[in-house]
Amino acid sequence: MFFVETLGECADPAEEPPADEIAAGLTFQGEPPGALLLRLTSPAARQISADFLGIDEAEVSNGQTSEVVRELANMICGSVLSRVEGAAAFHLAAPQIVPPSEEIARNLSNIRYCVRLSNGRLTVNLGTGIPICPQPTQSAY
Amino acid sequence: MAYRVLIVDDSPAMRTFVRRVIDLSGFELSECFEASNGGEALDLLRNEWVDAILTDINMPEMDGQEFLRRLSQDELLRSIPAIVISTDATEHRKACMTSLGARGYVTKPFLPETLRAELERTLGVPCD
Repeated sequence: MFFVETLGECADPAEEPPADEIAAGLTFQGEPPGALLLRLTSPAARQISADFLGIDEAEVSNGQTSEVVRELANMICGSVLSRVEGAAAFHLAAPQIVPPSEEIARNLSNIRYCVRLSNGRLTVNLGTGIPICPQPTQSAY
Repeated sequence: MAYRVLIVDDSPAMRTFVRRVIDLSGFELSECFEASNGGEALDLLRNEWVDAILTDINMPEMDGQEFLRRLSQDELLRSIPAIVISTDATEHRKACMTSLGARGYVTKPFLPETLRAELERTLGVPCD
């Protein structure tokens, strides 16, 4: 639904993240509770947003990009939880734009997935157990 | 035949996307209305008749559960089929929304043909 072509998993997911990332995080309640952090390089986020909205990349605003990245984080989290714990009940909080912090990512270490895209990369970190609440930011988009 | 559909979602991007997917699927729309939560949708439905409702669950002010509950309590509006579009694919949530009157359930992410099939099934559109 996001019409994204992937180029395979990142060779070294632990490598230093690109500087121009946008991130969205959300927490979830249930058994177990936890949080998910999605990071996307800005060019990839912009292209995905354009595809999602069916508009030209040049027309995509920062606000629209933020909204699509939040929606993508929501979908990934819902999809992963449904597959891993399909019989359990979860409540997902509203996704928020957060700083693309390596520290938050390191704390969400149950699942780490990094995939290369034509214009950057997409990284997902999911952690369960103690809920971690990423702090929202106004500075990134 | 073309249909009148109401999309209820607090995300303008998601509403745009759902509308776009309906168009891509070839499902014919005569009119497409939008609301950002259940309360806004109920207000709109007092003035506009629609053939089907596509609704999210997690929304501010009035969420999808309360919206479906109110729809089912309304003598006039309860005949309008509502399809839930959500990231939540758990059996618990599907059963809950079905018990509140949802006639269909589409899990995000979804393909255009999936949404079309669910709309056609819910509306009783005969197969080609």
